Amino acid sequence: MWLVTTAALLLLSSAAYGSGFSLFEQGAKATAMGGAFAATADDPSAIFYNVAGIAQQRKMAFMVGGTAINFSNEFRGDPNDPFTSGTSAKYRAHTFVPPNAYFILPIGSNLTFGVGVMTPYGLRTNWQEPWVGRFISRDANVKLLSVEPAVAWQTTDGRLAIGVGAEYRRSHIVLNRNNAAFNPFNGQISDTANAFLNSDWDSTWLWNAGILFKPSDSFRVGVSYRPASHIDYTGDAHFTQIPTNTPLDVLVKAQLPPDQSIATTINFPAVLSAGIATSAIGHGWDLEADVTHTTWSEFESLAVTFGTTSALNFTRPQNWHDTYSYRLGANKKATENWDVRLGAVYDENPQPTEGVGPLLPDSDRIGVSFGVGYHRGPWFIDLTEFVLHFKTRSTQGISSDNFNGTYRTDANLISVNLGYRF
Amino acid sequence: MTRIRSFARIAAAMLIIAALAVPSFAARGSADFTRFVAIGDSYGAGFEAGSLNQTHQPFGWPAIIARQVGLQICAPNASAADNCFAIPFISNPGLPGGELVFNGSTLVTVPGSGSPLMLGFGRPYNNLSVPGYTVGAVQALTGAEATSGLGQVILRGLGTEVDQALLLHPTFIAIWIGGNDFLGAVSAGDPNKLTPAATFAAQYKAMLDKLTAGAPGAGMVLGTLPANFTAAPLTSRLPSVVFDSNFQPVLVGGNPIPLFYLPAGSTTPAAVPAGSIFLLSSLSRYQQGFGIPPNLKAVPPFSLLPHVGEPLTDAEIITPAEQAVFAQRIADYNATILAEASARQIPVADIKGLFDRITQPQVFGGIAVTNTWISGGLFSNDGVHPSDIGYTLFANEFIKAINSGYNTHIPLASVIATFQNNGQFTGFGDNKGYAIVDPEAASAMTSILSSASVPAPAPPRRRTAHH
Repeated sequence: MWLVTTAALLLLSSAAYGSGFSLFEQGAKATAMGGAFAATADDPSAIFYNVAGIAQQRKMAFMVGGTAINFSNEFRGDPNDPFTSGTSAKYRAHTFVPPNAYFILPIGSNLTFGVGVMTPYGLRTNWQEPWVGRFISRDANVKLLSVEPAVAWQTTDGRLAIGVGAEYRRSHIVLNRNNAAFNPFNGQISDTANAFLNSDWDSTWLWNAGILFKPSDSFRVGVSYRPASHIDYTGDAHFTQIPTNTPLDVLVKAQLPPDQSIATTINFPAVLSAGIATSAIGHGWDLEADVTHTTWSEFESLAVTFGTTSALNFTRPQNWHDTYSYRLGANKKATENWDVRLGAVYDENPQPTEGVGPLLPDSDRIGVSFGVGYHRGPWFIDLTEFVLHFKTRSTQGISSDNFNGTYRTDANLISVNLGYRF
Repeated sequence: MTRIRSFARIAAAMLIIAALAVPSFAARGSADFTRFVAIGDSYGAGFEAGSLNQTHQPFGWPAIIARQVGLQICAPNASAADNCFAIPFISNPGLPGGELVFNGSTLVTVPGSGSPLMLGFGRPYNNLSVPGYTVGAVQALTGAEATSGLGQVILRGLGTEVDQALLLHPTFIAIWIGGNDFLGAVSAGDPNKLTPAATFAAQYKAMLDKLTAGAPGAGMVLGTLPANFTAAPLTSRLPSVVFDSNFQPVLVGGNPIPLFYLPAGSTTPAAVPAGSIFLLSSLSRYQQGFGIPPNLKAVPPFSLLPHVGEPLTDAEIITPAEQAVFAQRIADYNATILAEASARQIPVADIKGLFDRITQPQVFGGIAVTNTWISGGLFSNDGVHPSDIGYTLFANEFIKAINSGYNTHIPLASVIATFQNNGQFTGFGDNKGYAIVDPEAASAMTSILSSASVPAPAPPRRRTAHH
């Protein structure tokens, strides 16, 4: 009888990669301004923030950089949960470095071509063992890289610019969890197998468009849009037996599914950003406020199908909802060569309480950023420190995995970009 | 006007504060576990798989509560003066013998027996639970009687469970008793073996009266009894018609065939009445053919069984009429427990509800345990007593009752304590990655950039290196 449960449970509660798996940090200057950059978009990272913004840049330019992201987090079990009570856990220490690189090439006085390499999504939740949630997820990893050729055109007076891009998005996912079963040979619950799901690098294309309007010399309005898309992943599932050193091992071995193909799909949201910016207050200050709407409701469910053992197929409802984020940024030209920047962001999470779990414990976030920019001759360098606090998130006793507790997360991000304008 | 309004506001605030200051349930005494004692039976003792031994005694429900409130369990060599929760440790393999263990095909008893490790302990044990005891026995048997069973090594002739509990000047008393007032009758299929409802009520009341008189300031908690006795594997239901090896009814002419048995006081076998409970404890007899009617004697595969055509005994069948008696009696016991608890402001653990729930799988963070015998995880191999996991859930019902009655925040005990691989688990799979973009992706990026026919940036002005 436990034979059946072993196989059935092997993936019963596998799950999602989170929300908030979007990454909005694709340029150090924009990040320093809290990501409020749709109406500014005056460096090559405009390809990400508002593609129309490359039209106002009339010099060929190259910019490359990345953001070093470090998390500190803690899970605390719910004292009213008969499984997690009294337990606690943390992620393994990782430094994530989503990179970015951009090149723009103006042609004539109205047209600019560009190409960008970005990491607009990514997730890693890798828990330190021994980890009480290992039967839900030990490690979830969504890697993603986008390449976007783009073109933008502006009116000769520079008041209006429009841009379009074609984003080639390539991604790879890993899910890793253990299975356990009651072991009648020792009366304990034993880890019996590890399921390691590893996708290929799969891809999709989507478009992107932006508009930048400058009604006067001191006001700017920008809108950027990327539509919803999805990636169909294929890959492999590897099952590894975990010895219990009891006769159960023979039974587990007989039940262990063979390594086999898997298939799944992840829906990515549409992202609409709108910003308004002004330099009207003078003294070298430039201010921007943005709102971003993300249609995370696209992420309705997650289904994985297995090539051989169809009993392992699962569909997990996610039922995420659309979110807004609110961003404020300021850039002050401090000296001839130095800029000083400040930003703040409030980012809503899309995840219903019952879905908060080890794969992605998402939460509303509040962040503040500070940055400097230095330029000398054709060179420019931007350096940004961004502190992101996730509101403490409790499953409130209604976790859909019966895995209740409280997640606390803080992130520290350091962005650096180096650029050259010809 | 403004002044009146602010006065009204202050008055309203004070009313709210006053309302909050009155607890919704004023439980007697307080949740002070300085001297915590438990009165109970085999469940309290931590009896599992037919044995009481030091491996599982720490999982009796009182010992789990003790750990959750921060008490130390006394080591076997502890002295009476030590501030710890004493349980009467018995060495492995245990008493009256070793555990029933599963060898892959059947249950076998671990040979040998253990011995008490703390017979000379200089005060009553905090956990006074004795396997087999009824609500009457906890007030009658002192361990000196020949009939006191394991009470001989737990009570040691020092007094009854109730008397010894009071000797400890308890600050908190937890009690779960009454299971043996009906369990023996259920497994014997004989309602006559039930403790009469009036006797139970009188004994339960007398027990509480004595305890509340002897320890008037002590906090207390009680528990209801499982009305759903078929939730335990040994007393779980088999079909009461002829069934195959998959427990599916065998149909002849499209109809199931009732088992047959010899009703008490009758000499003529009769068909088992529809709706009867046939207990799993009789499975081995069925497998020999008992209960299968004579007309199947020549029909394969039943023809292979030696005892086809011989009736089951009355004790093996709980008829609908008998079920009604059991159900009513357990309901009477629970009514007594709830009424006596209410009269004394004692919170009550919902053990009845727990046994109703465990007929469904209990899922913990991706793992399910069930009430299936041997493989399920909630019950030990004797099919009657919970496993370490089951006792954890049992103890948690008491903790919930204490928390709600005394407004405490005692954390529930976690079943993770019963996991084999805690703290020694070594990794599998990919744990080596340290970046969202791995080297594979980085090289992809490099190749995309280099193939984009991007003019190389002008080299920076060369500076003289200073050493």
